[in-house]
Amino acid sequence: MRKFIVKKLKAKQNKIVPYFMSIALVAVTTFLGSLIKGAIEPTNIVIFYLLIVVMAAVWWGRYPAILTSLLSVLAFDYFLVTPYLTFAVSDIQYVFTFIGLLAVGLVVSALASKTRQQAMDARGREEQTAILYRLSKDLAASDSLEAVLHTIRMNVGGIFDCHVAVFLPVDHKITPGSFDPGFPIDEHENTIAAWVFGNGKPAGWDTDTLPAAKGHYLPLKTSQGVFGVLGVFFKDDKAGLDPGEYNLLSALASQAAVAVQRAKLTEISRQMELIREREKLQTALLNSISHDLRTPLVSITGALSSLLQDFSSIDAETRKELLETAYEESGHLNQLVGNLLDMTRVEAGALKMKTKPCELRDVIGASLHLLKDKLEKRDIQIHIPRVLPEMLLDFTLMMRVFVNLIDNAMKYSAPGTPIEITAKLLENKVKIEVKDRGLGIPEEDLVRIFDKFYRAVKPRQITGTGLGLSICKGIVEAHGGQIFAENNPDKGATLTVILPLKVKEA
Amino acid sequence: MAGPEKMRILIVDDEKTIRRFLKATLVSHGYDVFEAANGAEALKYAVSSHPDVIILDLGLPDMDGIDITRQIRERSKTPIIILSVREDESDKIAALDAGADDYLTKPFHAGEMLARIRAVMRRLLPQSEWSLFTVGNLTIDIAQHRVEVNGCPVHLTPTEYALLKVLVLNAGKIMTHRQILKEIWDKTEDVEEALHLLRVTVSNLRNKIEPDPDRPTYILTEPCVGYRLCTDM
Repeated sequence: MRKFIVKKLKAKQNKIVPYFMSIALVAVTTFLGSLIKGAIEPTNIVIFYLLIVVMAAVWWGRYPAILTSLLSVLAFDYFLVTPYLTFAVSDIQYVFTFIGLLAVGLVVSALASKTRQQAMDARGREEQTAILYRLSKDLAASDSLEAVLHTIRMNVGGIFDCHVAVFLPVDHKITPGSFDPGFPIDEHENTIAAWVFGNGKPAGWDTDTLPAAKGHYLPLKTSQGVFGVLGVFFKDDKAGLDPGEYNLLSALASQAAVAVQRAKLTEISRQMELIREREKLQTALLNSISHDLRTPLVSITGALSSLLQDFSSIDAETRKELLETAYEESGHLNQLVGNLLDMTRVEAGALKMKTKPCELRDVIGASLHLLKDKLEKRDIQIHIPRVLPEMLLDFTLMMRVFVNLIDNAMKYSAPGTPIEITAKLLENKVKIEVKDRGLGIPEEDLVRIFDKFYRAVKPRQITGTGLGLSICKGIVEAHGGQIFAENNPDKGATLTVILPLKVKEA
Repeated sequence: MAGPEKMRILIVDDEKTIRRFLKATLVSHGYDVFEAANGAEALKYAVSSHPDVIILDLGLPDMDGIDITRQIRERSKTPIIILSVREDESDKIAALDAGADDYLTKPFHAGEMLARIRAVMRRLLPQSEWSLFTVGNLTIDIAQHRVEVNGCPVHLTPTEYALLKVLVLNAGKIMTHRQILKEIWDKTEDVEEALHLLRVTVSNLRNKIEPDPDRPTYILTEPCVGYRLCTDM
C-alpha cells in the first residue's frame, strides 16, 4: 500500500544521476567517434549524437536530454571537427551542423519527455484506479456500517500512512464513529469535523479553513447529501498534500461516502423491517386477544347473567354446571393473561432474568404442583437423577416453561395415557424431555410450533393461544439453552429442553 | 372457629369489587368483616377495630403496602395476609420479611384464602394444643421429638429436624428463605452458601418423608420466596 509514496521519494533521490549518465553517454560516443573519425565523414557521426539525445530524452526526461544535446555539440566540435582540441571551426559548414544538432536535440527532447510524462501519468492513474478498485472491493464485502467504517480506516490509513477517523452524525451531533487510536480526538477537532459536516467543504490542516487543526477533514458527500466526515492525521511533520495525493484522497472520500450512505440506508431499512415485524406481531396479538379473551368472557358473562336473571327457576344441578363453566373459563382467562404478559416481556427483551442456583427437581416439582388440579390422577412418570448439580436458573421463568410443556402434553394426549418427564446429565448440559403418548406433531410443523400464535393441530375443544411454546423458546434461549420437538417412533411427541450446566461461580 | 365471639377480619383493597367478593365469602363463613379502601384507613382500623386477621392488598394508591405492613407490625402482632399479583415477587418477599404472615396471588380461590386464614390463626394458639401435627401419612410430635411416616419412625439429622420443626410451627404459612435461615442457623443475611445448605436439607428431608420426592406434597416450594408445609391434603 505504501508503494505509491515510496516510489515518489526514490524519484527525488535519483534526480542528479541522469545528468551524470548523460555526460557519460556523450563521453562514450565521443570516444567511439574519435576511433572512427578518419574512416567516415564527421557529419555522419552527428547521427550517433542524435541517437543518444533521443535516448536521454526517453530515459531521463527533458533536462538531461537538453544537457546531452549541448554537450554533444561541444564535444563534437572540440574532438571531432578540425582543428581538433579547440572550439574553433575551419569549415563554416559545421556551424550549420552544430545548430542543426542542437535544434534537433531540443525538439526531440521536448517531444520525448512529453511522451514520458504521459506514460508516467498513465501509470499514476492506473495505480490510483487500482487503489480505488481495492477500496471498492473491500467496501462491497463490508456488510455493516461498522465493517464499512473499518474498511475505510484500513484502506486510507494504509495508502497514506496516516491515522484515520470517520465522523458520523448521531442525534444531530457529529461524533467519531470509528477512529484509529492515534487520531487526535478532542473537542476542537470535533468542532472542525462538525463544520465540515455542516458546510460540505474540506477544512483543517493543509486547507484554507482552520489550518491550525491537527487533522485534515473531508466531507463524505454524495448527491444525496453529506453522510459523515473523513479525518486524516499524518504522523510525521508532513508539509502538505501534493495535488496527486489530494486528488486521490478526495476520490477515496467520495467512494467512502457512497459506501457509508449505502450502509446507513441498509441499516434504516433493517430497522424498518423490524418495526414492520413488530407491527405484524401486534396485529396478530390484537387478533388473538380479541378472539381468545372474548371466548371465555362470553361463557362467563352468559353463565352468570343467566344465573342472575333466573336464579330461582334454574334447578340446582344446572346452577352448579353454570357456575363451574364460569369458574373454569375464568381460569383460562387467567392463563391467557399470564401468557400474554410473559410474551410481551419476552418480546420486549424485558425478560429480566434473575438466575439463582436451583435444583431442577424442585423446579419440576413446583411446576407439577401448580398444575395439580388439572393433572388430577394423570399418570406422570418422573425420571430425574437423584444427584444432579445445581443449575443457574430463573426459578419462576423456568417453571413457566415446564408448566407450559406439561400442560401441552396433557392437552394433546388422551387422559388415560402417561406423561414422562426425564432429565439426563450430558457433559456440561442437562437434557430434559417431556414425552406424551398423544397425537404427535405433523412433521412440517415441528419447527413452526415455536412461532408465535402457531398451533399445529387445532381441534376446537383444545383451548390455547399458541403462545405457550414461543414463550418457552424465549425463556429457554434467554438461559442459553435450546428447545425442540420430535415425534416419538411409536406414538406421541417429545419436547426437549437442553440447558447449559453453568458451574456456580465461587 | 367462630365461637361465641366472631373472628374479626379487616379487608384492605382499593377495588370495590374485590372487597365485595371477599366480604361475601368471609361473612358466609362466619367472620365479622371491616373494609378499608386505602392505606390511611387501614392503619386507623388496624388499631381501632382490633381485627384478628388483616387481608392487605399490596397495590394501594396512597401508600406502599410494605410500609403499611411495617407500621402495623410496630403496633400489633395481628396476622397479615398479603394480596398481590404474580409479577410482584420482590414486593411479596419484602412484605413477608417486613412481618406479613402469608400471601395470596391474585386471582385466588376462595377456599385457598379460607385455608390461609385458618393457618395464620392456628399459629396464634398456644403450642401445647397442637404439638402433635399430622398431614397425610406424616406425623410430627414436637414434644416427643418424633417423626413418623405411615406409622414408621423416620430418622432425621438435627438440621433436618430443625427445619421440619420450623415448618411445623408455622404450618400452612409461608416461610421465607431469610426467616428459615434465621430460625435454624441464626443467619440474618441470605448468603448463597446458607441457601445452598437449605436447598440440600430440604431435598434430603423430602427424600425421607415425601411419598414421591419428585412431586412433593408436604413441603411445598414457593418459587423464589421460601417453603410452606402443607396442612390439608
